[in-house]
Amino acid sequence: MPREVEPSQNEKQFFARALQENIRLDGRAFDQFRGLEVEFGEEYGVADVRLGKTRINTHITATVEPPFPDRPFEGTFTITTELSPMASPAFTSSAPTPTEISLSRLLEKTIRRSGALDTESLCLIAGSKVWSIRADVHVLSHDGNLVDAACISVMAALQHFRKPDTSSEGQNVTIYTLREREPVPLSLLHFPYCVTFNFYKVEKGKNEEDEVKMLIDGCGLEEALRDGSLTVGMNRHGEVCQVAKLGGMAVDAVALLGCIQVALVRVKDISAFVAKRLEEDAKKRDKGGMMAELSAENDRVS
Amino acid sequence: MAATMFVLPGQELDSSLLPSHPTLPLKLGPGLRHIPPNTITPTVAGQLCTDKRKNAVWVEFNGGRYIPTAGDLVIATIQKSSVDVFYASLSDYTSNATLPQLSFEGATKKTRPQLAQGALVYARVTLANKHMDPELECVSSSTGKSEGLGPLIGGMIFNVSLGMSRRLMLPKPADQGGLVLLDEIGGQGIAFEIAVGRNGKVWVDSKSLKCTLSIGKAIQDTDEKTLTADEQKKLAKKVAREA
Repeated sequence: MPREVEPSQNEKQFFARALQENIRLDGRAFDQFRGLEVEFGEEYGVADVRLGKTRINTHITATVEPPFPDRPFEGTFTITTELSPMASPAFTSSAPTPTEISLSRLLEKTIRRSGALDTESLCLIAGSKVWSIRADVHVLSHDGNLVDAACISVMAALQHFRKPDTSSEGQNVTIYTLREREPVPLSLLHFPYCVTFNFYKVEKGKNEEDEVKMLIDGCGLEEALRDGSLTVGMNRHGEVCQVAKLGGMAVDAVALLGCIQVALVRVKDISAFVAKRLEEDAKKRDKGGMMAELSAENDRVS
Repeated sequence: MAATMFVLPGQELDSSLLPSHPTLPLKLGPGLRHIPPNTITPTVAGQLCTDKRKNAVWVEFNGGRYIPTAGDLVIATIQKSSVDVFYASLSDYTSNATLPQLSFEGATKKTRPQLAQGALVYARVTLANKHMDPELECVSSSTGKSEGLGPLIGGMIFNVSLGMSRRLMLPKPADQGGLVLLDEIGGQGIAFEIAVGRNGKVWVDSKSLKCTLSIGKAIQDTDEKTLTADEQKKLAKKVAREA
Protein backbone atom coordinates (compact mmCIF):
# COMPACT_ATOMS: atom_id res chain seq x y z
CA MET A 1 0.00 0.00 0.00
CA PRO A 2 1.37 3.45 -0.77
CA ARG A 3 2.70 5.07 2.33
CA GLU A 4 5.50 7.56 2.98
CA VAL A 5 8.05 5.65 4.99
CA GLU A 6 8.69 7.59 8.21
CA PRO A 7 12.07 7.02 9.84
CA SER A 8 11.98 5.52 13.34
CA GLN A 9 12.66 7.56 16.50
CA ASN A 10 16.04 5.89 16.88
CA GLU A 11 17.08 6.94 13.38
CA LYS A 12 15.90 10.52 13.93
CA GLN A 13 17.81 10.89 17.20
CA PHE A 14 20.93 9.21 15.83
CA PHE A 15 20.92 11.44 12.79
CA ALA A 16 20.48 14.61 14.89
CA ARG A 17 23.39 13.61 17.14
CA ALA A 18 25.55 12.80 14.13
CA LEU A 19 24.86 16.25 12.66
CA GLN A 20 25.88 17.91 15.91
CA GLU A 21 29.19 16.08 15.69
CA ASN A 22 29.51 17.00 11.98
CA ILE A 23 29.33 13.39 10.87
CA ARG A 24 27.38 12.27 7.85
CA LEU A 25 25.91 8.76 8.01
CA ASP A 26 27.66 7.44 4.93
CA GLY A 27 30.94 9.16 5.76
CA ARG A 28 30.78 11.79 2.99
CA ALA A 29 31.70 15.45 3.40
CA PHE A 30 28.74 17.80 3.73
CA ASP A 31 29.25 19.20 0.23
CA GLN A 32 30.04 15.95 -1.55
CA PHE A 33 27.93 14.18 -4.11
CA ARG A 34 27.52 10.41 -4.02
CA GLY A 35 29.25 8.31 -6.66
CA LEU A 36 27.84 9.38 -10.01
CA GLU A 37 27.72 6.90 -12.89
CA VAL A 38 26.32 7.63 -16.36
CA GLU A 39 25.82 4.89 -18.94
CA PHE A 40 24.40 5.09 -22.42
CA GLY A 41 22.31 2.54 -24.25
CA GLU A 42 22.74 0.93 -27.64
CA GLU A 43 20.18 3.28 -29.13
CA TYR A 44 20.92 6.97 -29.36
CA GLY A 45 19.26 9.00 -26.62
CA VAL A 46 19.10 6.47 -23.77
CA ALA A 47 20.91 7.52 -20.58
CA ASP A 48 21.03 5.56 -17.33
CA VAL A 49 22.20 7.62 -14.35
CA ARG A 50 23.09 6.23 -10.93
CA LEU A 51 23.61 8.56 -7.98
CA GLY A 52 24.34 6.24 -5.08
CA LYS A 53 21.31 3.95 -5.00
CA THR A 54 19.05 6.38 -6.90
CA ARG A 55 18.70 5.24 -10.48
CA ILE A 56 17.02 7.13 -13.33
CA ASN A 57 16.68 6.15 -16.96
CA THR A 58 15.78 8.68 -19.67
CA HIS A 59 14.74 7.95 -23.22
CA ILE A 60 14.58 10.62 -25.95
CA THR A 61 12.37 10.12 -29.00
CA ALA A 62 11.63 12.38 -31.96
CA THR A 63 8.63 12.50 -34.25
CA VAL A 64 7.46 14.92 -36.93
CA GLU A 65 4.37 16.87 -35.88
CA PRO A 66 2.60 20.11 -36.79
CA PRO A 67 3.76 22.98 -34.54
CA PHE A 68 1.64 24.99 -32.10
CA PRO A 69 -0.45 27.54 -34.03
CA ASP A 70 1.01 30.51 -32.11
CA ARG A 71 4.59 29.34 -32.59
CA PRO A 72 4.94 28.22 -36.20
CA PHE A 73 8.73 28.43 -36.30
CA GLU A 74 9.50 26.32 -33.25
CA GLY A 75 9.59 22.61 -32.56
CA THR A 76 8.12 21.13 -29.40
CA PHE A 77 9.95 19.63 -26.46
CA THR A 78 8.14 17.80 -23.66
CA ILE A 79 9.52 16.13 -20.55
CA THR A 80 7.38 13.45 -18.92
CA THR A 81 8.32 11.90 -15.60
CA GLU A 82 7.23 8.49 -14.48
CA LEU A 83 7.70 7.44 -10.86
CA SER A 84 7.15 3.70 -10.95
CA PRO A 85 5.91 2.01 -7.75
CA MET A 86 8.97 -0.22 -7.88
CA ALA A 87 11.10 2.78 -7.00
CA SER A 88 9.58 3.41 -3.57
CA PRO A 89 6.55 2.37 -1.52
CA ALA A 90 5.45 6.01 -1.54
CA PHE A 91 4.64 6.01 -5.26
CA THR A 92 1.32 4.84 -6.68
CA SER A 93 0.50 4.28 -10.31
CA SER A 94 -2.73 6.27 -10.09
CA ALA A 95 -2.46 9.80 -8.66
CA PRO A 96 0.74 11.83 -9.01
CA THR A 97 2.35 12.27 -5.62
CA PRO A 98 3.71 15.69 -4.53
CA THR A 99 7.21 14.36 -5.23
CA GLU A 100 6.31 13.66 -8.83
CA ILE A 101 4.67 17.03 -9.35
CA SER A 102 7.59 18.97 -7.91
CA LEU A 103 10.08 16.86 -9.90
CA SER A 104 8.39 17.55 -13.22
CA ARG A 105 8.03 21.26 -12.42
CA LEU A 106 11.71 21.62 -11.52
CA LEU A 107 12.82 19.77 -14.67
CA GLU A 108 10.48 21.92 -16.72
CA LYS A 109 11.88 25.16 -15.34
CA THR A 110 15.51 24.13 -15.47
CA ILE A 111 15.64 22.52 -18.89
CA ARG A 112 12.66 23.49 -20.96
CA ARG A 113 12.00 27.10 -19.92
CA SER A 114 15.66 28.05 -19.84
CA GLY A 115 15.95 27.15 -23.49
CA ALA A 116 18.59 24.45 -23.19
CA LEU A 117 17.25 22.86 -26.35
CA ASP A 118 17.09 25.26 -29.31
CA THR A 119 13.54 24.70 -30.50
CA GLU A 120 13.91 26.88 -33.59
CA SER A 121 16.48 24.45 -34.97
CA LEU A 122 13.80 21.78 -34.83
CA CYS A 123 11.69 23.50 -37.46
CA LEU A 124 11.40 21.67 -40.80
CA ILE A 125 8.65 23.53 -42.66
CA ALA A 126 7.40 26.63 -40.87
CA GLY A 127 3.78 26.29 -39.87
CA SER A 128 3.30 22.67 -40.89
CA LYS A 129 6.10 20.29 -39.95
CA VAL A 130 8.45 20.42 -36.97
CA TRP A 131 10.37 17.92 -34.87
CA SER A 132 8.69 17.05 -31.59
CA ILE A 133 11.26 15.87 -29.06
CA ARG A 134 9.98 13.90 -26.11
CA ALA A 135 12.02 12.99 -23.04
CA ASP A 136 10.62 10.16 -20.90
CA VAL A 137 12.20 10.08 -17.46
CA HIS A 138 11.76 6.75 -15.64
CA VAL A 139 12.67 6.65 -11.97
CA LEU A 140 13.78 3.10 -11.27
CA SER A 141 15.04 3.42 -7.71
CA HIS A 142 14.50 6.22 -5.20
CA ASP A 143 17.15 6.81 -2.56
CA GLY A 144 16.94 10.58 -2.36
CA ASN A 145 17.78 13.48 -4.65
CA LEU A 146 15.61 12.64 -7.65
CA VAL A 147 15.83 16.18 -9.06
CA ASP A 148 19.59 16.31 -9.53
CA ALA A 149 19.80 12.79 -10.92
CA ALA A 150 16.85 13.37 -13.29
CA CYS A 151 18.39 16.58 -14.59
CA ILE A 152 21.73 14.90 -15.27
CA SER A 153 19.90 12.04 -16.94
CA VAL A 154 17.87 14.30 -19.27
CA MET A 155 20.83 16.47 -20.23
CA ALA A 156 23.06 13.45 -20.86
CA ALA A 157 20.36 11.82 -22.99
CA LEU A 158 19.79 15.03 -24.98
CA GLN A 159 23.48 15.31 -25.72
CA HIS A 160 23.61 11.65 -26.70
CA PHE A 161 20.54 11.68 -28.93
CA ARG A 162 20.75 11.83 -32.74
CA LYS A 163 17.76 12.79 -34.87
CA PRO A 164 17.43 11.52 -38.42
CA ASP A 165 18.89 13.79 -41.10
CA THR A 166 16.41 15.61 -43.33
CA SER A 167 16.29 17.67 -46.50
CA SER A 168 13.39 19.79 -47.70
CA GLU A 169 12.19 21.03 -51.08
CA GLY A 170 9.30 23.43 -50.91
CA GLN A 171 6.61 21.79 -48.83
CA ASN A 172 8.10 18.28 -48.98
CA VAL A 173 10.46 16.95 -46.37
CA THR A 174 12.56 13.84 -46.88
CA ILE A 175 13.60 12.09 -43.71
CA TYR A 176 16.56 9.82 -44.26
CA THR A 177 16.74 6.51 -42.47
CA LEU A 178 19.74 5.61 -40.37
CA ARG A 179 21.17 3.56 -43.19
CA GLU A 180 20.96 6.33 -45.76
CA ARG A 181 22.54 9.14 -43.80
CA GLU A 182 24.17 9.45 -40.38
CA PRO A 183 21.80 11.00 -37.82
CA VAL A 184 22.43 14.50 -36.55
CA PRO A 185 22.86 15.66 -32.92
CA LEU A 186 20.41 18.12 -31.34
CA SER A 187 21.29 21.78 -31.05
CA LEU A 188 21.78 22.54 -27.35
CA LEU A 189 22.43 26.13 -26.33
CA HIS A 190 23.64 25.51 -22.79
CA PHE A 191 23.77 22.66 -20.31
CA PRO A 192 21.94 23.33 -17.05
CA TYR A 193 22.25 20.98 -14.08
CA CYS A 194 20.55 21.06 -10.67
CA VAL A 195 22.09 20.90 -7.21
CA THR A 196 19.85 20.29 -4.20
CA PHE A 197 20.71 21.46 -0.68
CA ASN A 198 19.00 20.11 2.43
CA PHE A 199 18.79 22.25 5.58
CA TYR A 200 18.67 20.99 9.13
CA LYS A 201 18.13 22.87 12.36
CA VAL A 202 20.62 21.68 14.96
CA GLU A 203 19.97 22.58 18.55
CA LYS A 204 23.05 23.69 20.39
CA GLY A 205 21.69 24.08 23.89
CA LYS A 206 20.04 26.80 25.95
CA ASN A 207 22.70 29.47 25.69
CA GLU A 208 23.64 29.13 22.05
CA GLU A 209 21.54 29.85 19.02
CA ASP A 210 20.29 27.03 16.88
CA GLU A 211 22.63 26.32 14.04
CA VAL A 212 21.64 25.55 10.48
CA LYS A 213 23.51 22.71 8.78
CA MET A 214 23.48 22.23 5.07
CA LEU A 215 23.94 18.92 3.22
CA ILE A 216 24.24 18.36 -0.54
CA ASP A 217 22.72 15.35 -2.31
CA GLY A 218 20.79 13.79 0.52
CA CYS A 219 20.11 10.07 0.54
CA GLY A 220 16.64 8.72 1.37
CA LEU A 221 16.96 9.05 5.14
CA GLU A 222 18.54 12.53 4.97
CA GLU A 223 15.74 13.76 2.72
CA ALA A 224 13.05 12.37 5.00
CA LEU A 225 14.50 14.20 8.00
CA ARG A 226 15.22 17.56 6.39
CA ASP A 227 13.71 20.82 7.63
CA GLY A 228 14.01 22.73 4.36
CA SER A 229 15.52 22.40 0.92
CA LEU A 230 16.81 24.53 -1.93
CA THR A 231 17.31 23.48 -5.55
CA VAL A 232 19.54 25.61 -7.76
CA GLY A 233 19.54 25.03 -11.52
CA MET A 234 22.51 26.57 -13.31
CA ASN A 235 25.03 25.89 -16.04
CA ARG A 236 28.79 25.75 -15.83
CA HIS A 237 29.17 29.42 -16.82
CA GLY A 238 27.48 30.50 -13.62
CA GLU A 239 24.16 31.46 -15.26
CA VAL A 240 21.37 30.55 -12.87
CA CYS A 241 18.26 29.12 -14.54
CA GLN A 242 16.10 28.74 -11.49
CA VAL A 243 16.19 28.82 -7.71
CA ALA A 244 13.48 26.84 -5.92
CA LYS A 245 12.98 26.96 -2.19
CA LEU A 246 9.56 25.45 -1.72
CA GLY A 247 8.56 26.04 1.90
CA GLY A 248 10.56 24.61 4.74
CA MET A 249 12.47 26.46 7.44
CA ALA A 250 13.68 30.01 7.00
CA VAL A 251 17.30 30.32 5.87
CA ASP A 252 19.55 33.37 5.95
CA ALA A 253 19.68 35.09 2.56
CA VAL A 254 23.46 35.36 2.56
CA ALA A 255 23.66 31.63 3.20
CA LEU A 256 21.56 31.08 0.08
CA LEU A 257 24.01 33.08 -2.00
CA GLY A 258 26.78 30.93 -0.56
CA CYS A 259 24.83 27.85 -1.67
CA ILE A 260 24.79 29.14 -5.24
CA GLN A 261 28.57 29.49 -5.16
CA VAL A 262 28.96 25.92 -3.93
CA ALA A 263 26.50 24.75 -6.58
CA LEU A 264 28.61 26.33 -9.32
CA VAL A 265 31.61 24.20 -8.34
CA ARG A 266 29.48 21.05 -8.33
CA VAL A 267 27.86 21.88 -11.68
CA LYS A 268 31.27 22.30 -13.28
CA ASP A 269 32.27 18.86 -11.98
CA ILE A 270 29.07 17.28 -13.28
CA SER A 271 29.40 18.93 -16.71
CA ALA A 272 32.97 17.69 -17.06
CA PHE A 273 31.98 14.19 -15.99
CA VAL A 274 29.07 13.92 -18.43
CA ALA A 275 31.22 15.30 -21.26
CA LYS A 276 33.86 12.67 -20.52
CA ARG A 277 31.32 9.84 -20.58
CA LEU A 278 29.87 11.11 -23.86
CA GLU A 279 33.34 11.20 -25.37
CA GLU A 280 34.04 7.63 -24.31
CA ASP A 281 30.74 6.50 -25.76
CA ALA A 282 31.47 8.31 -29.05
CA LYS A 283 34.84 6.58 -29.29
CA LYS A 284 33.19 3.21 -28.81
CA ARG A 285 30.75 3.88 -31.60
CA ASP A 286 33.36 5.37 -33.92
CA LYS A 287 34.34 2.42 -36.04
CA GLY A 288 37.56 2.95 -37.90
CA GLY A 289 37.53 6.68 -37.44
CA MET A 290 34.92 7.24 -40.15
CA MET A 291 32.64 9.40 -38.03
CA ALA A 292 34.32 12.63 -39.02
CA GLU A 293 33.71 11.83 -42.68
CA LEU A 294 30.11 10.75 -42.21
CA SER A 295 28.92 13.64 -40.06
CA ALA A 296 26.50 16.01 -41.74
CA GLU A 297 27.28 18.91 -39.41
CA ASN A 298 28.49 22.16 -40.93
CA ASP A 299 31.42 23.89 -39.29
CA ARG A 300 29.51 27.11 -38.59
CA VAL A 301 26.77 25.23 -36.68
CA SER A 302 29.09 23.55 -34.15
CA MET B 1 25.48 -30.61 7.37
CA ALA B 2 26.73 -31.15 3.87
CA ALA B 3 25.57 -31.60 0.31
CA THR B 4 25.13 -28.24 -1.40
CA MET B 5 23.53 -28.25 -4.82
CA PHE B 6 21.99 -25.34 -6.66
CA VAL B 7 18.31 -25.76 -7.55
CA LEU B 8 15.78 -23.72 -9.53
CA PRO B 9 12.03 -23.48 -8.85
CA GLY B 10 10.08 -26.43 -10.19
CA GLN B 11 13.18 -28.52 -10.75
CA GLU B 12 12.82 -32.27 -10.47
CA LEU B 13 14.79 -33.58 -7.54
CA ASP B 14 16.55 -36.90 -7.76
CA SER B 15 15.61 -39.06 -4.77
CA SER B 16 19.30 -39.70 -4.09
CA LEU B 17 19.65 -36.04 -3.09
CA LEU B 18 17.15 -36.41 -0.30
CA PRO B 19 18.42 -37.92 2.95
CA SER B 20 16.93 -41.11 4.29
CA HIS B 21 16.64 -42.26 7.87
CA PRO B 22 15.40 -45.56 9.30
CA THR B 23 13.08 -44.06 11.94
CA LEU B 24 12.59 -40.29 11.47
CA PRO B 25 10.23 -39.00 8.77
CA LEU B 26 11.64 -36.59 6.21
CA LYS B 27 11.23 -32.96 7.35
CA LEU B 28 10.73 -30.31 4.69
CA GLY B 29 12.11 -26.87 5.44
CA PRO B 30 11.53 -23.54 3.71
CA GLY B 31 11.69 -23.43 -0.05
CA LEU B 32 10.34 -26.93 -0.71
CA ARG B 33 6.87 -28.19 -1.39
CA HIS B 34 5.40 -31.65 -1.22
CA ILE B 35 2.98 -32.61 -4.01
CA PRO B 36 1.33 -35.88 -3.11
CA PRO B 37 2.08 -38.69 -3.55
CA ASN B 38 5.78 -38.71 -4.28
CA THR B 39 7.02 -35.37 -5.61
CA ILE B 40 9.13 -32.86 -3.69
CA THR B 41 9.97 -29.71 -5.68
CA PRO B 42 11.76 -26.50 -4.76
CA THR B 43 9.73 -23.31 -5.01
CA VAL B 44 12.66 -20.86 -4.89
CA ALA B 45 16.14 -20.70 -6.40
CA GLY B 46 18.96 -21.43 -4.00
CA GLN B 47 21.19 -24.07 -2.50
CA LEU B 48 19.65 -27.36 -1.45
CA CYS B 49 20.86 -28.24 2.05
CA THR B 50 20.37 -31.47 3.95
CA ASP B 51 20.88 -32.53 7.55
CA LYS B 52 21.33 -36.25 7.96
CA ARG B 53 20.96 -36.27 11.75
CA LYS B 54 17.55 -34.64 11.82
CA ASN B 55 16.56 -36.02 8.42
CA ALA B 56 15.71 -32.53 7.20
CA VAL B 57 16.04 -30.89 3.78
CA TRP B 58 15.57 -27.23 2.82
CA VAL B 59 16.63 -24.54 0.36
CA GLU B 60 18.94 -21.67 1.38
CA PHE B 61 17.95 -18.60 -0.57
CA ASN B 62 18.43 -14.87 -0.33
CA GLY B 63 15.06 -13.31 -1.09
CA GLY B 64 14.16 -9.67 -1.24
CA ARG B 65 10.88 -9.68 0.64
CA TYR B 66 10.48 -10.83 4.23
CA ILE B 67 7.60 -13.30 4.64
CA PRO B 68 6.67 -13.59 8.35
CA THR B 69 6.81 -17.05 9.89
CA ALA B 70 5.81 -17.98 13.42
CA GLY B 71 8.69 -18.06 15.89
CA ASP B 72 10.86 -15.51 14.05
CA LEU B 73 12.50 -12.68 15.98
CA VAL B 74 11.95 -9.36 14.20
CA ILE B 75 12.53 -5.64 14.71
CA ALA B 76 9.24 -3.79 14.23
CA THR B 77 8.48 -0.06 14.04
CA ILE B 78 5.39 1.16 15.90
CA GLN B 79 3.09 3.06 13.54
CA LYS B 80 0.05 3.77 15.71
CA SER B 81 -1.71 2.51 18.78
CA SER B 82 -5.36 1.82 19.27
CA VAL B 83 -7.42 0.64 22.25
CA ASP B 84 -5.40 -2.35 23.36
CA VAL B 85 -3.14 -3.10 20.46
CA PHE B 86 -0.17 -1.47 18.74
CA TYR B 87 0.18 -1.55 14.97
CA ALA B 88 3.80 -2.18 14.02
CA SER B 89 5.38 -2.33 10.60
CA LEU B 90 7.71 -5.20 9.73
CA SER B 91 8.63 -4.09 6.22
CA ASP B 92 7.83 -1.17 3.97
CA TYR B 93 5.49 -2.81 1.48
CA THR B 94 3.34 -4.92 3.73
CA SER B 95 0.39 -4.25 6.01
CA ASN B 96 1.05 -3.67 9.70
CA ALA B 97 1.37 -6.43 12.26
CA THR B 98 -0.58 -6.24 15.52
CA LEU B 99 1.17 -6.23 18.89
CA PRO B 100 -1.14 -6.49 21.94
CA GLN B 101 -0.33 -3.91 24.59
CA LEU B 102 -0.40 -6.56 27.29
CA SER B 103 2.27 -8.69 25.64
CA PHE B 104 5.06 -6.93 27.49
CA GLU B 105 6.82 -7.99 30.65
CA GLY B 106 5.00 -6.70 33.72
CA ALA B 107 2.15 -5.11 31.75
CA THR B 108 -1.31 -5.04 33.26
CA LYS B 109 -4.49 -3.24 32.31
CA LYS B 110 -3.46 -0.34 34.53
CA THR B 111 0.20 -0.12 33.51
CA ARG B 112 0.52 -0.30 29.77
CA PRO B 113 3.76 0.42 27.91
CA GLN B 114 3.90 3.87 26.36
CA LEU B 115 5.30 3.55 22.88
CA ALA B 116 5.27 6.55 20.55
CA GLN B 117 4.99 6.44 16.79
CA GLY B 118 8.35 5.48 15.37
CA ALA B 119 9.56 3.49 18.37
CA LEU B 120 11.46 0.26 17.67
CA VAL B 121 10.62 -3.02 19.38
CA TYR B 122 12.30 -6.41 19.32
CA ALA B 123 9.46 -8.90 19.08
CA ARG B 124 8.63 -12.49 18.18
CA VAL B 125 6.06 -13.42 15.54
CA THR B 126 3.30 -15.50 17.08
CA LEU B 127 0.88 -15.82 14.20
CA ALA B 128 1.69 -15.62 10.53
CA ASN B 129 -0.18 -16.95 7.56
CA LYS B 130 -0.82 -15.47 4.17
CA HIS B 131 -4.48 -14.70 4.80
CA MET B 132 -4.12 -12.58 7.92
CA ASP B 133 -1.97 -9.77 9.24
CA PRO B 134 0.88 -11.12 11.36
CA GLU B 135 0.80 -10.89 15.15
CA LEU B 136 3.72 -10.18 17.46
CA GLU B 137 4.56 -10.52 21.12
CA CYS B 138 7.27 -8.92 23.29
CA VAL B 139 7.19 -11.48 26.06
CA SER B 140 7.75 -15.20 26.12
CA SER B 141 4.27 -16.69 26.43
CA SER B 142 5.48 -19.66 28.51
CA THR B 143 7.65 -17.92 31.12
CA GLY B 144 6.10 -14.44 31.12
CA LYS B 145 9.54 -12.84 30.97
CA SER B 146 10.76 -10.58 28.20
CA GLU B 147 14.00 -12.49 27.48
CA GLY B 148 15.56 -9.66 25.57
CA LEU B 149 12.40 -8.61 23.77
CA GLY B 150 10.79 -5.20 24.13
CA PRO B 151 11.54 -1.61 23.12
CA LEU B 152 14.99 -0.73 21.73
CA ILE B 153 16.28 2.58 23.08
CA GLY B 154 18.98 4.65 21.43
CA GLY B 155 21.40 3.17 18.96
CA MET B 156 20.76 3.03 15.25
CA ILE B 157 19.04 0.64 12.89
CA PHE B 158 20.64 -0.62 9.66
CA ASN B 159 19.11 -2.50 6.75
CA VAL B 160 20.70 -5.76 5.61
CA SER B 161 19.61 -8.48 3.23
CA LEU B 162 17.49 -11.35 4.51
CA GLY B 163 20.29 -13.85 3.93
CA MET B 164 22.66 -11.78 6.07
CA SER B 165 20.22 -11.56 8.97
CA ARG B 166 19.80 -15.32 8.80
CA ARG B 167 23.58 -15.79 8.93
CA LEU B 168 23.82 -13.44 11.91
CA MET B 169 21.22 -15.48 13.78
CA LEU B 170 22.83 -18.91 13.25
CA PRO B 171 23.96 -20.69 16.41
CA LYS B 172 27.52 -20.89 15.07
CA PRO B 173 27.92 -17.99 12.62
CA ALA B 174 31.62 -18.60 12.00
CA ASP B 175 31.32 -22.26 10.96
CA GLN B 176 27.91 -22.34 9.34
CA GLY B 177 27.74 -18.88 7.77
CA GLY B 178 31.35 -17.81 7.35
CA LEU B 179 30.74 -14.78 9.54
CA VAL B 180 33.60 -13.81 11.82
CA LEU B 181 33.08 -10.05 11.81
CA LEU B 182 31.23 -9.61 15.10
CA ASP B 183 33.51 -11.99 17.00
CA GLU B 184 36.53 -10.11 15.68
CA ILE B 185 35.14 -6.71 16.62
CA GLY B 186 34.42 -7.99 20.12
CA GLY B 187 37.87 -9.51 20.20
CA GLN B 188 39.38 -6.08 19.51
CA GLY B 189 37.88 -4.84 22.73
CA ILE B 190 34.95 -2.83 21.41
CA ALA B 191 31.83 -2.97 23.59
CA PHE B 192 28.57 -3.02 21.66
CA GLU B 193 25.04 -4.30 21.87
CA ILE B 194 23.24 -5.77 18.89
CA ALA B 195 19.76 -7.03 17.98
CA VAL B 196 19.09 -8.80 14.70
CA GLY B 197 15.63 -8.96 13.16
CA ARG B 198 14.83 -11.67 10.65
CA ASN B 199 13.08 -9.00 8.55
CA GLY B 200 16.42 -7.63 7.41
CA LYS B 201 17.08 -5.10 10.17
CA VAL B 202 20.00 -4.89 12.60
CA TRP B 203 20.00 -2.58 15.63
CA VAL B 204 23.41 -1.56 17.00
CA ASP B 205 24.28 0.45 20.08
CA SER B 206 27.75 1.31 21.34
CA LYS B 207 29.44 3.83 23.58
CA SER B 208 30.06 6.46 20.93
CA LEU B 209 28.15 7.51 17.85
CA LYS B 210 31.12 6.92 15.55
CA CYS B 211 31.56 3.43 16.92
CA THR B 212 27.91 2.53 16.38
CA LEU B 213 28.04 3.91 12.87
CA SER B 214 31.22 2.07 11.89
CA ILE B 215 29.96 -1.26 13.27
CA GLY B 216 26.69 -0.90 11.37
CA LYS B 217 28.48 0.06 8.17
CA ALA B 218 30.86 -2.90 8.60
CA ILE B 219 27.89 -5.28 8.76
CA GLN B 220 26.35 -3.70 5.66
CA ASP B 221 29.66 -3.88 3.78
CA THR B 222 30.12 -7.56 4.69
CA ASP B 223 26.66 -8.15 3.30
CA GLU B 224 26.82 -6.10 0.09
CA LYS B 225 30.36 -7.00 -0.91
CA THR B 226 30.20 -10.62 0.38
CA LEU B 227 33.51 -10.38 2.23
CA THR B 228 35.50 -13.49 3.05
CA ALA B 229 36.68 -14.30 6.57
CA ASP B 230 40.07 -12.64 6.04
CA GLU B 231 38.52 -9.49 4.64
CA GLN B 232 36.15 -9.41 7.60
CA LYS B 233 39.11 -9.60 9.98
CA LYS B 234 40.70 -6.62 8.23
CA LEU B 235 37.43 -4.70 8.41
CA ALA B 236 37.13 -5.47 12.14
CA LYS B 237 40.62 -4.05 12.73
CA LYS B 238 39.62 -0.91 10.83
CA VAL B 239 36.51 -0.53 12.99
CA ALA B 240 38.62 -0.88 16.13
CA ARG B 241 41.03 1.81 14.90
CA GLU B 242 38.24 4.28 14.17
CA ALA B 243 36.59 3.87 17.56
